[in-house]
Amino acid sequence: MSAVNHASPATGPPPASPVALRCVGLGRRFGDRWAVRGVDLEVRQGEVLGLLGPNGAGKTTTVRLLTALIRPSEGTATVDGFDVRAEPEHVRARVGVLTETPGLYDKLSASANLDFFARLYGLSPARRAERIEHYLRLFGLWERRHDVAGTFSKGMKQKLAIARALLHDPSVVFLDEPTAALDPEAAFIVRDAIETLRRAGRTIVLATHNLDEADRLCDRIAFVRGGLLRVDSPARLRGSLGRRALVVRLRSVPADGRLDEVRAVLGVEGVERVDGGLRVTADPAAPVAPAVVRALVAGGADILEVRVERISLEDIYFEIMGVRPDAEGARA
Amino acid sequence: MRRSVLWTILRREWMETLRNRLLLSTILVPPILLTVAPIGLAGLIGERALPAELAGQILGQRPEWSVFSPAELAGAFAVQQFLVFFLLMPAYIPLSIATFSIIGEKQARSLEPVLAAPIRTVELLAGKAISALVPGILAGLVTYLVFVVLASFVYGPNLFGVVTDPSWLAGVFLLGPAVGLSSVVAGVIVSSRVNDPRVAQQIGGVIIVPIVGLVLVQATGAVLLGPGGFVLIAGVVLAVSLVGLAIGVRLFDREAILTRWR
Repeated sequence: MSAVNHASPATGPPPASPVALRCVGLGRRFGDRWAVRGVDLEVRQGEVLGLLGPNGAGKTTTVRLLTALIRPSEGTATVDGFDVRAEPEHVRARVGVLTETPGLYDKLSASANLDFFARLYGLSPARRAERIEHYLRLFGLWERRHDVAGTFSKGMKQKLAIARALLHDPSVVFLDEPTAALDPEAAFIVRDAIETLRRAGRTIVLATHNLDEADRLCDRIAFVRGGLLRVDSPARLRGSLGRRALVVRLRSVPADGRLDEVRAVLGVEGVERVDGGLRVTADPAAPVAPAVVRALVAGGADILEVRVERISLEDIYFEIMGVRPDAEGARA
Repeated sequence: MRRSVLWTILRREWMETLRNRLLLSTILVPPILLTVAPIGLAGLIGERALPAELAGQILGQRPEWSVFSPAELAGAFAVQQFLVFFLLMPAYIPLSIATFSIIGEKQARSLEPVLAAPIRTVELLAGKAISALVPGILAGLVTYLVFVVLASFVYGPNLFGVVTDPSWLAGVFLLGPAVGLSSVVAGVIVSSRVNDPRVAQQIGGVIIVPIVGLVLVQATGAVLLGPGGFVLIAGVVLAVSLVGLAIGVRLFDREAILTRWR
């Protein structure tokens, strides 16, 4: 499965931005099992790409392949023009990685943790000091720089780990489940940190199964399950789902027989009675709202509210993944 | 291998070791005991003499000790046992540091960010191995030097000659480092499969069994190893360590760490 797609999203980088990351037919097998296969993808500089998929879908494997942590079984990938297979050290020097867990040295201070990595990346003493101070201040950790990382909250640890991933000014930043297992407050802090990076024009690959996070932060979303199922911007994904719905709240819901005029409106595909009103599904290309409102008013209905039902990323997710959990089963 | 990367790893490893009080106490306390014990033992033995049969057995292996008085012979025999104890430091200290270091990183999941940096796994392995090996060897050497200085005061010139004879020098300066290397290798191999440092130390502790065996053999007086014996054993231990090191390097592969270490 492949899904090369770099159409210009509503936000994010201009389409002419250079390609920061490219992979063609990328795959990795463990024994007889393919963790991920046939990944074709381009990410432009300044773009935020979300990798969305269930546990075991191959998100972490994809991140590890693209960061030259593991070798591909087939296909190629380049970061900043460097091949992950032939030039892994160059690739690793150009990427920053936030792994699934912060992986800090708990007995070392925040600044000692960063200093160790800055040295590994070969930063000069002056540059090290400047970068460490910059990121500790950016993420609000400067006052705690001498405290050992083991005393930090989960959110602070995650921010320190993000700072670690950025010290060497990487071309592409990979964030693997940055808010997993965090409480809402810590997750908010981390999302805010990612938003800061996004505003700074960083190229980011965000692996997550948090749909809301992907929706808010990503220019494009890649759906992963053993390969890339689809890649597109959230807006285009919504538009392409092929249906739109108007929700009309009424003072009193008319009898079913009096809704024929609404059903007759060009573009309307269905009308169903819902609690306190109607739900009108329509062809997404047809602007049905004015005609539906006119038909209802002509039928004597008192309209309290009309709104376009926003298709959630969850709907899109289940549509693309081809599964929807059984709610009754889940409650049982 | 880049020296700057190696030094960066060594620096961090030692910073963490110095902050780990439990580990630090296991490194520092035994050398002090091993220095004090022989001196104390010498005091306890005092002017006692060995049974004639045992004395004859010892002199058969160490004819150069025939110039000693019966009391000096007893002291020399007792002190000789402690040479093997000086091998225990390079055996257990690197094992403790290596297992704490590797399993600690496994538990904290801190290896993946390191491996994501432009570092070669051989540099990481070398850094961890050296950081574990050096304190063990240093502890052995420093303790030996302190022991030699104290021995010169307590035992007198004859017994001072015993603790500085070629068998001691070969044991401390050749067999000690070889045992240290084997200990590091054991630490690396066991740590790749185990998730608790204490369990790793218990398993890796089998490395001490041959040393204890050496203690027992020497204590009977049946075999008192001379310099040749120590050099030979050092060679064998070194060869076994190098084979183990080759296995350790394979276990320390980037992909193996990320995908197989649990």
